Amino acid sequence: MRIAILDGSPDAGALSRYLNEVVARLERRTHDVRLMTLRDMNIRYCTGCWSCWWKTPGECAFKDESHDVCAAVINSDFVLIATPLIMGTVSALTKKTQDKLIPLVHPYLTLVGDEVHHRKRYDRYPWWGALFECAPDTDDEDLQVVTDLVSRFTINLRSRLEFARTTASDAQETADAIDRVQWLAPRP
Amino acid sequence: MRLTVFNGSPRGRSGNTEILIEWFMEGVKSVPWNSYTVDHLRAVEKHGEFADTFRDAEIVMLAFPLYTDAMPGIVKAFIEKLAPLVGRPQNPPLLFLVQSGFPEAHHSRFVERYLEKLARRLGSRYVGTMVRGGCEGIHVMPPRMTKKVRTTIAALGERFAKTGDFDPELLNQFAGTERLTRFGQAVLKLMKIVGLTRFYWDGQLRKHKAYARRFARPFEGAW
Repeated sequence: MRIAILDGSPDAGALSRYLNEVVARLERRTHDVRLMTLRDMNIRYCTGCWSCWWKTPGECAFKDESHDVCAAVINSDFVLIATPLIMGTVSALTKKTQDKLIPLVHPYLTLVGDEVHHRKRYDRYPWWGALFECAPDTDDEDLQVVTDLVSRFTINLRSRLEFARTTASDAQETADAIDRVQWLAPRP
Repeated sequence: MRLTVFNGSPRGRSGNTEILIEWFMEGVKSVPWNSYTVDHLRAVEKHGEFADTFRDAEIVMLAFPLYTDAMPGIVKAFIEKLAPLVGRPQNPPLLFLVQSGFPEAHHSRFVERYLEKLARRLGSRYVGTMVRGGCEGIHVMPPRMTKKVRTTIAALGERFAKTGDFDPELLNQFAGTERLTRFGQAVLKLMKIVGLTRFYWDGQLRKHKAYARRFARPFEGAW
């Protein structure tokens, strides 16, 4: 299984060490894993210019490293968003990167169930998981709110969130959870 | 009352958020002794200054468009600058405005829950969140098509300036369509068949000579 892991931690700390362990365990199971350390990448904020929809369809007009993230995400079977919770939700680094994935869908709108969403640009989209590193003030309400926000993000990207967990569980358990995704139905 | 507004639109003054802020302020200014300032969060390098402005403000309004079903990255970066203010007893009351291009307000309800919790986290009084869908085209719509939205948000502004609170009924009116009914879904399907849902985007694609490439998949197979 092709797996992309987006490390949205602004500092190299416990979350990044945890992810290194997850990657090692997944690679031992012969998964093809790409760990993207977002803080080391040149990714500009989305300016809302919509060039990715009407000038350079499917890609940001700015040649930053969000192109690498888009390529990894859309060609993966599974993507893990790994982020510390800062002020109750994903890091700004993570959110900035999420915004830059909008070229992966089309500006045309369509009905998905009873909601309006973007039309698919690609035939298939990856499954998603979320890994949160809690802050000292994180409570159950925060975890529910941020899980719902990431879940909505994955629906917007024409997929769904398979799991959300915290780094309170060990790296082995997280690797197991990712490994189980391969037994799901084919990608959306 | 002096209201400090932070516009979190990455498009700054040329975005739809700015238009809605102006219409809200038409109501606020109709009440004597009220004034406001607007800072634009797209100036990310000024977020430190803006956090100081927030700290000293009487009342704060944070307005932004919905990006990938939450706040834009620049808004989240600003919120992180407010972390040192958590637990401070005199943080200003907070009101919010969230607008999106989706026709349903429902898409913005998830970030609304976050904003309510953010106010509690900061120890600020939560005034409420004005949510509105279907805003992508308001900057190009003729005035007759935006009259209802404009008068409703101005009424919200006037009521807020007089009482310090939002009128729940006006909030509901402003939100417009919460979720599409079966009839609304049928209308949307019909609009899709005749091309009305693509009209705006196709015009822009043609203007930028990109129509033939509109279904491009530049990252296919690029693992």
